[in-house]
Amino acid sequence: MSEHELVSLTIEGVDVSVPKGTLLIEAAKQAGVVVPHYCYHPGLPVAGVCRMCLVEVEKTPKLQIACATPVAPGMVVRVMSPPALEARKGVLEFLLINHPLDCPICDQAGECELQDYVFQEGRARTRYGSFAKRFNPVEDFGGDVLYVPNRCILCTRCVRFMDHVADDSILNVSERGDRALIGIHGDRALDHPWAGNVVDLCPVGSLISKDFLHKARAWELDRTASVCTGCSQGCNVTLDTRQSAVVRARPRPNPDVNRYFMCDYGRGQYRWMNGGDRIEAPLLAERDGLVATDWDHALARAAQLIKGAAGRTVVLASARASTEALFLARRLAGGSSVTGAFRVEYVPGEAPLSGVPNLALRSERAPNATGARVLGYTEAFDAAVRTASEAGLVLVLDEPLHGVPANTLAGAGMVIYLGTVLPEAARVARVVLPIANVAEEDGTFVNRDRRAQRYFQAKATPGMARPAWWVLGELLAELGRGGPFATAAEAFDLLSREDPSFAGLSYATLGTQGVGLPAARPPVVVPA
Amino acid sequence: MAIGVKVVRRPDSVSYLRATLKGMTLTFGHLFRRKVTMQYPEEKSEPGWSLSPRWRGTHRMLTDEQGRAKCVACGLCPQICPANCIKLVPGEDEDGHRYPLIYEIDEFRCVFCGYCQEVCPEEAIHVGVHYENAEYDRGRFVYDLERLCAQTHPVSSLWDPADPRGE
Ligand code: SF4
Ligand code: SF4
Ligand code: SF4
Ligand code: SF4
Ligand code: FES
Repeated sequence: MSEHELVSLTIEGVDVSVPKGTLLIEAAKQAGVVVPHYCYHPGLPVAGVCRMCLVEVEKTPKLQIACATPVAPGMVVRVMSPPALEARKGVLEFLLINHPLDCPICDQAGECELQDYVFQEGRARTRYGSFAKRFNPVEDFGGDVLYVPNRCILCTRCVRFMDHVADDSILNVSERGDRALIGIHGDRALDHPWAGNVVDLCPVGSLISKDFLHKARAWELDRTASVCTGCSQGCNVTLDTRQSAVVRARPRPNPDVNRYFMCDYGRGQYRWMNGGDRIEAPLLAERDGLVATDWDHALARAAQLIKGAAGRTVVLASARASTEALFLARRLAGGSSVTGAFRVEYVPGEAPLSGVPNLALRSERAPNATGARVLGYTEAFDAAVRTASEAGLVLVLDEPLHGVPANTLAGAGMVIYLGTVLPEAARVARVVLPIANVAEEDGTFVNRDRRAQRYFQAKATPGMARPAWWVLGELLAELGRGGPFATAAEAFDLLSREDPSFAGLSYATLGTQGVGLPAARPPVVVPA
Repeated sequence: MAIGVKVVRRPDSVSYLRATLKGMTLTFGHLFRRKVTMQYPEEKSEPGWSLSPRWRGTHRMLTDEQGRAKCVACGLCPQICPANCIKLVPGEDEDGHRYPLIYEIDEFRCVFCGYCQEVCPEEAIHVGVHYENAEYDRGRFVYDLERLCAQTHPVSSLWDPADPRGE
């Protein structure tokens, strides 16, 4: 039997053909029907405990659970038929016997599957008004997680995640019957590096994030597809923003990279994106120090300086810069005698998520180190800084210059600094150009498996800051070497025309899930 | 002259006396009818007159037995408000209860639709049966939580679809 053997069946009157062995609930998605469900999650083993997914299958005596029933040829499935609706209404009524009327104070409200399904097909009024509800106090599970037992619907998604995906069985279902609740190992806290995923997995507001607690309501958030900046794994994430501040990051499903998960370290990355100490206007070096100016003057001065530069050019780049910016900065630095360098923080030891192959919090803690390498940058950062002190032109691309003594770059012919913040060592720059950070621009990163992935703009840039691809595009245009670009897509198109590693790619082909670059070329040897 | 315009000629001589007397009779006739004018602000109410119970005036926040605002900062009223005049910042008190750290209504921007009262799951915020709002300072029209809780006027009973005539 081939793996690709197709089975045809009818779901809600729609004919679908799906691979043999597909579960009804997944087949229904292809028919455009979401079967209500709680315990089922595509990233977890099937449990079949909540009974929310009951559907009517013709010629079977009883209703079937769509999450555990594989498709069979000729099946006729009814999801919204009166018996199925009646059964699910009963399930919801049971769930609500003990569920508190907590929505006004519950962080999950607005993105809660219990709210959604009760609204969709539950009873309008309770028939248990005269019974007291079961009560258990809120428990701190450690890590970033709070457990509100009263809201728990015992779907066991959290237990299965810890058992089968994180491989750290510290949660269980304690007690029995209507006293059952989720228990945690007596000596342990929920501090596994990937434990925060239970908050996303919980379909209700039972497991909630302490960091996000009371911060925002689900309906106030704007959601933007992005890529995590925590490490070179490049997990796909969604940035939730409110009034131009990122308030949380959540995993965005990508079967080839992070499936449905992201690590807790990555979740905390959103904080630096809201940092307040930003450069808000282009600055020019005048007699009395750096003076704010407008873009026209700043760009003209920078272009003039680059034209007049003689000798070696050094590009000190950040491995958080977009692939487009890294490429354009190198192109701007021009011809032969160019040194491009970046540095990355390495934290020893990886933190793998054992249930997902090739997924770990990597020790290389930067999102685009591979992109920089592909584009010919090296990690000989200290050597490059030494070279820089005698170079004709130093171009800094958002490198924070930590540990670089303030006067190191003073010896250089001239320094042009493109950055989000202004470190002391960069005050010797002749021109300072404010750029956007990852949450404020469109761009791409290349992860450790050479997968180019796009991220999108999630919030406004502060002041006059502009995306690095725009700034570099304007400068290139002044020098007649390409650009200017109206969109990041145009900058990427130039990259794909000029660099064989990116040949044939465009924003359209990358989509939201990314594409692997062709196999590695022999490493480019760049003279240090 | 444009087609279709009919010119009515005024009679050459006419007396307005009769029409004037007729009008005056009506005017002075009112002197002897029951007065409906109330001498506000000296008089504020009289038997048989009151504001409608469905009147929607400046807000009042109801409080619980301990005198705390009933609001749990659920965020529904700022969301529904068509004038976008409710400012809410949620917080958590010592007992871990969610409550409004900041709750302000800009009564100048409010259009007194009453949606905030209708949407509130805690029956906390209400529009009031109240109309005397004069202030010496525009800034005083942003009512903060303390002020909203300190209001004592009756609250509106909004239109009830099950009882459309308020009976
Ligand atoms: S805490 Fe949430 S995920 Fe865990 S069993 Fe309860 S409802 Fe399910
Ligand atoms: S593994 Fe790396 S990329 Fe994935 S969420 Fe964690 S820090 Fe981000
Ligand atoms: S009455 Fe209407 S406009 Fe005024 S605060 Fe309430 S919802 Fe907003
Ligand atoms: S709707 Fe009621 S409980 Fe919710 S924030 Fe407004 S006043 Fe507070
Ligand atoms: S989703 Fe099928 S039983 Fe829970």
